[in-house]
Amino acid sequence: MTDWAQPSDFKEWGKRMFALRPLLIFTLICAIFILELRFDWIERLLGSYLVTTNSARPESGSIWEKSHQTRTAQQTLEQIITDRQALQREARSAASFTQIAASVTPQNGVMLSADHFRQLYVRLAPTIAREIIEPLDLLVFVSKGQWRRTYFEKSGSGLAVYLLDADNRVLRQLELSSVLLSQLQRGEVALAESLDELPNFKNRIYTADQFFESLESFHEEARHSMLPHPELLLAAPGQIVRVGISDETQAGFIELGFEFFADNQRRVLVVQGQEWAVWRLRAHLEGLDQDQAPGQPQGQK
Amino acid sequence: MSTFAVWMRRIGTICYLALALAGLGALVSAGLFFIALHDLPRVPDPLGRIIETPPTEIFASTGERLMIIGGREVVPLNRISSEFIHAVIATEDHRFWDHHGLDKLRTLKALWVTLFEPGKIQGASTITQQLAKNLFFSYQRTYMRKFRELMVALQIETQYSKREILEAYLNQIPFGVGAYGIEQAARSFFGKPALELNLAEAALLAGLPKSPTRYNPYRHFERARKRQQLVLARMVAVGYITAEEAEAAAQTKLQLAPLEGGTPRGSYFLDLVLNDLEERYGPEVVYHGGLKVSTTLDPQQQNWAIESLQSGLLKLDQLLGITAADDAGATHSSSHPQGALVAVECTSGAVKAMVGGRDYSETEFNRAVENNRLPGSGFKPFLYYAAFEKLKLMPNSVFVDKPITVPVAGAPDWRPKNFRREYEGPMILKQALTKSVNAVAAQLVERVGPEAVIDVARHCGITSPLSPVYSLALGTSGVSPLEMAAAFTTFANGGVQHKPFWIRRVEDPLGRVLEEHIVRGQRSLDASIVYQIVDMMRGVLTSGTGGVIRRLGFDLPAAGKTGTTDDYRDAWFTGFTPTLCVSVWVGYDRGISMRDVNGVGITGGRGAAPIWADFMIKATSGEPAREFVVPSDIHFATVNPINGAIAGAWVQHKVKVALRAGQTASNAPVQPTETVTGRSATEIMDEATLQKGDEPATQTVGQPFVDTADDSLIREEELPPD
Repeated sequence: MTDWAQPSDFKEWGKRMFALRPLLIFTLICAIFILELRFDWIERLLGSYLVTTNSARPESGSIWEKSHQTRTAQQTLEQIITDRQALQREARSAASFTQIAASVTPQNGVMLSADHFRQLYVRLAPTIAREIIEPLDLLVFVSKGQWRRTYFEKSGSGLAVYLLDADNRVLRQLELSSVLLSQLQRGEVALAESLDELPNFKNRIYTADQFFESLESFHEEARHSMLPHPELLLAAPGQIVRVGISDETQAGFIELGFEFFADNQRRVLVVQGQEWAVWRLRAHLEGLDQDQAPGQPQGQK
Repeated sequence: MSTFAVWMRRIGTICYLALALAGLGALVSAGLFFIALHDLPRVPDPLGRIIETPPTEIFASTGERLMIIGGREVVPLNRISSEFIHAVIATEDHRFWDHHGLDKLRTLKALWVTLFEPGKIQGASTITQQLAKNLFFSYQRTYMRKFRELMVALQIETQYSKREILEAYLNQIPFGVGAYGIEQAARSFFGKPALELNLAEAALLAGLPKSPTRYNPYRHFERARKRQQLVLARMVAVGYITAEEAEAAAQTKLQLAPLEGGTPRGSYFLDLVLNDLEERYGPEVVYHGGLKVSTTLDPQQQNWAIESLQSGLLKLDQLLGITAADDAGATHSSSHPQGALVAVECTSGAVKAMVGGRDYSETEFNRAVENNRLPGSGFKPFLYYAAFEKLKLMPNSVFVDKPITVPVAGAPDWRPKNFRREYEGPMILKQALTKSVNAVAAQLVERVGPEAVIDVARHCGITSPLSPVYSLALGTSGVSPLEMAAAFTTFANGGVQHKPFWIRRVEDPLGRVLEEHIVRGQRSLDASIVYQIVDMMRGVLTSGTGGVIRRLGFDLPAAGKTGTTDDYRDAWFTGFTPTLCVSVWVGYDRGISMRDVNGVGITGGRGAAPIWADFMIKATSGEPAREFVVPSDIHFATVNPINGAIAGAWVQHKVKVALRAGQTASNAPVQPTETVTGRSATEIMDEATLQKGDEPATQTVGQPFVDTADDSLIREEELPPD
């Protein structure tokens, strides 16, 4: 190997500088530099490499944070909406006020259409319906055309009911007390402490002995039509002391009011019996059983 | 060694050193690259995903959008004015179409300037780098952040086309006044879509992203204009436009659109709405959930409220002798009195307008809601109601206006004084309320007890803490204008209270309802007694301390009450028609006394009532005159204001009073029936009548009561009507 020696003159310098190897290195460096300036190949190379690692990198940085926040917000909203819609669905399919009451939570009330409220209302026994709102009052609201929706919310242990206009203004506030709701839930209709307080019944009040003696005189089918759900009365505490028969009929039914006495207190439960059967019972009680009762089906006489 | 050889050797050494440095640089860069790569953020795909956040929008009761939060109004490049695109490229990155995320020449130049020109720092970020910074990085200035920003820019350049990059950039850059992205900016600043921007407008907008606050054209128009010219010059230099076109654009008059959503208008109200929403749903849902919020705000009334309050405060400045010179070295909010105005719809409790200060841009503190200031005599209607209800008093019951002392157990005696330190002797209660006589109010509270007053205030919806002290009846417990306005709607509604509300309905981005407000009222007060109080409060406007309102031209049936606190620190007027209740407060944030240049104090009648009148004249313009509903058991009698009896033909200044069933002018009780001197009330009345203007003997009445209030805290406020 030849020892490196310092060039002694310009000629030697020139020979060495313009030798093939330095020229090649120089050209290469220049080429790299020019090509980079012209074609940005380093940036492209790095960029391409970064694209390959993209999926393995973290979702960090402000835009991802925002994205996560958006996702969280959407999930929260979805949860709220899902809960709310579930409540609304439940309420919309409710066939009674007790089912509505079951779907209302302290945090969330439910909204029904005015028509739905009316459907539920007319299913109630007239006497209990009056406890909520007089039918005539409701008719006035319907006829005015302002009542659009009905909002139910928890109020203490009962329900507050708001009849709303199109601007969500309360036209009338109603109350469904917890006592009323629990009675509705049990299928009972306890309305008052005494039959004397109920105008529909006051003309036909009998002692329990009179009533049940008369009831026993009928055959099984008629008895069942007169008192379709005796178990409701059995479930009520106390002793039946008086029974009233309503003056009014509704859709083929007549209400019977049973006055109970328990713990030194009186209360009335109302149930419904089929019109033709109750008419026969009433006729029997009044000694008129030879009369034809209205609405009696053929062959029942 | 020859000189030549020495030089050649030196050159050689330099070359080797340069090569070594370049190698070292490459090694360091490679090291940095791998370090930076370690936690380099992932780039979303597609890039448009960056603008997926749905905007939360807040609407007025009219449906007009008041504010938009987050989200972007994304437009493709072909829906953006080419002038704007050129302006942005010329200003921000004129070699955008040529480089691959890094402008090397500009970077070298910037490096040179930064290293060799002391005190100067030059940026060289390309549009892609700016996009990377905006999307992923904080504004912390570190070399590592710059390097990582560059890496992400390189990836974005590789992964996406130039058009995609430019589109993403233009749709997310901030322009100020809450506008993000060019479409929103074009609509906010010029009320037109981005496609319709002309050269002058495009140049102005293109100059804003550099510093949206500094170049905000609404605040610094000239500065923004200079920046626009700079942008135009860049466009000429790059060759997008000619010098003539630039000159023409520079001369074009710019018509800025009035500030709308996301702007100071209604911002006190919007703050309230946002705070409320945050409490209910959390900040994430509010700012990223894309809620659609319908509020109760009436934009027209809001504008009038702002105008009335601002013009009223300017007049107050003049009264107080405050000039522009006084602003030197002090912020506007500390050197000038502040004010608040709240308007509430009586029949629902909906807040129709709210202004929490004279200028939201100076101070965001919402005095309409958060500023509990003493209401002064504005609290007396609650007292009078309590007295009527509990003591069976009537508007024509006679009390003696005289200095009184109420002993307080364990505290100095309470000696409330009348404003003018003059006492008028016997007068009926209607007169006492109309003239806002403290001595009579003190006798009433001493007899009825502060708890009864608190009870009435609570029934009306006052929720602030109230101290059970005698002076409470004269307004020594702080309340907000919102509370006062909402509470007085109970009087306007005949005793039915509506809770104030400002959000009608909230929906998710798909329009599914999250909540809606049910407008429900609750009977809180007796309708007949309420009517008596309202009838008395009407007197405040016609012949009492709020007389300025009628003189300013407001002539609809209305009632109200002024309030002024000790040393004129607060001036109030809260009043209502049957449909709208408005409360106005003015005062200094620091509780400084308000006195005019002659040293006369600013009362509720002078400071707040004119603002109320100005607003109400506008807000009720065109409305028919609606009377307050008179309950069926109310009848009226015209009485003598001194003895409360039916007024004979000879009696001057007769007063009409509203009486309930069973109340007659002849059975008005005369109070008090017993005094410490043992003289009868009639004797005192006679004496007071004879010696009007003299100082009657101080009288002590009532049972001891623990009262910690300063006995001179509240004084009768009212000047004779202006």
